[in-house]
Formats: sequence, structure tokens, C-alpha cells
Amino acid sequence: MEFKELDPILHSQLRLAVISLLISVREAEFTFLKEKTNSTAGNLSVQINKLKDAGYLDVTKQFSNNYPQTICKITKKGIEAFESYVNALQSYMKPGAE
Amino acid sequence: MQDEKFSPKDSLQLIDNMINQAKNRFSENGFLYLMWGWLVLFCSIAHFILLKLNLIKHPEIIWVSCWLAAIFQVVYLSRRKKKGNVKTYSENIINFVWVNFGVCMLIISIIVAKSNNWEIINSLVLLLYGTPTFLSGIAMQFKPLVIGGIICWCLAILSVFIAPMYILLLLSAAVISAWIIPGYILRKKYNQQNKS
Repeated sequence: MEFKELDPILHSQLRLAVISLLISVREAEFTFLKEKTNSTAGNLSVQINKLKDAGYLDVTKQFSNNYPQTICKITKKGIEAFESYVNALQSYMKPGAE
Repeated sequence: MQDEKFSPKDSLQLIDNMINQAKNRFSENGFLYLMWGWLVLFCSIAHFILLKLNLIKHPEIIWVSCWLAAIFQVVYLSRRKKKGNVKTYSENIINFVWVNFGVCMLIISIIVAKSNNWEIINSLVLLLYGTPTFLSGIAMQFKPLVIGGIICWCLAILSVFIAPMYILLLLSAAVISAWIIPGYILRKKYNQQNKS
């Protein structure tokens, strides 16, 4: 049985959680991701930057009522990477794979 | 959330968990359904009473209040847009379904005004109320709106068989079933979600 390699960018709990949230919504603010992933602002910020550098996320910084706002959106490359990652996971889950 | 090594099974569990968290979020607080529901209920009953008692020459003037409500709605939505910290695909579809409703109402008003056939307008309005209500219910997977939409369509058929004046009462029944009752259920769900 041949296992597909898991994308190291996505095979990390927090980065995978962020991508999974963003695959289900059109766009989300940093505060929403922080609340849903139950992570610290510092750690989340680092992981979002890694996803952005890999081209998986579009990150827009703007001001709303004088407060800074970070809006994250998954890119086409991010969606493709997520689909490949799920396909690779499925190869591990097939009977006799473990 | 710990960033440690985890198995493929854990990965699938995490993906499932996160997708459900985003999906189960209920962003609609029911306010606009309630505002329009009560306003149209008030206007249709007032219009009916004024018409029945023959109190004023142009009782339809009461519907001008809907324009004020529409202006208020634009301000309300632009403020809410700034507050929201996530935008979902279904919210986007629902917004455009209601934009479509507004455009159709405007076009139908122009067609009816041009043909001077005012008696038919309330039947068409009942038909129009049904469509966005039904589609919003489907997109939100919220049954009371789906049922409300179907009731509007049934009332539109019924309206063909009764005197035009009494169609105003069908409008009241339509907004109670399509907007007011679902509006209160939405509000309750929204408040419960924000408490937990």
C-alpha cells in the first residue's frame, strides 16, 4: 500500500484548523479564527503568516472604526492544497493502511 | 491549540470539527424579519380598516412608511456589515436573493402602475414574498422560513378567488407566517447561541 505524502504546511493542528474554517466561509476576521481555534494571538499570527507565505491565504489588513482588522480568505491554491491533503489522508484511512 | 504531531485520524477529526463550527454559526438575529413583518402587518390592517370605513380618500398612502423602513434598513445593514467578523457563502446568497426581491417589487410596481391594474398588485406581492422567504429558509436550513414561503404561495393562489379588499388580510396572514413567527424563532436561536 502506497501512502501519499502529507503536505507539511497543512499537517499542523493550528494551520489545518484555520484552513478548515476558511474552506467553509467566504472570509473571516482574525478574531473569529482566534475564537474558534482557541489559540493565542501570537501563535495564530505566526501560523497565518506561514499559510500566507505558502500562497494558501490572502490576508488583508484594514481599519474599521479606528480599530485594525485582519481579514483572511483562502486562495485557489489553498483550496487545491486542502483537497490534496484530504485525498492523501484518505489513503491512510483505507482498510489495511494502518 | 497545541501544535504537535498528530495522526491522519486526528486530522480528519479536526477538519470535521472546524467545518461544523463554521457551519453551525447562526448569524441571523431575525431583526429585519420582525421589523418588516410588524410594519407590513400594521400597514395592511390599517389600509383594510381605512378602506372598509371609507375614512380617507387615499388609504394606500400608509404604505409610504415602507420607504422610510427601506432607508433605515440600508443604514442598519451597512453598520452590521462593519461589526460582523465572518462572511459565509450562504449569507452572500441570501443577501442577493433579497436584493432580487427588492428589484422585482420595483419592476412589478412600474408594470402595474403602467397597466393601471392595481387590483392584481397584492396577489403578485404575495407571490413575491414567498420566493425570497422560501430560498432564505433553504439556504439557512431553517424550516419555519421554508413553510412561511409556501404559505405565501398558497395565499397568492387563494387571493385570486376573493374580493381585492380582503387580499389585504391575506397579506397580514402572509407576514405573520413568513416573517413574524420565523423572526421570533430566529431571534431566540441567535440569543441562545450567543449565551452558550
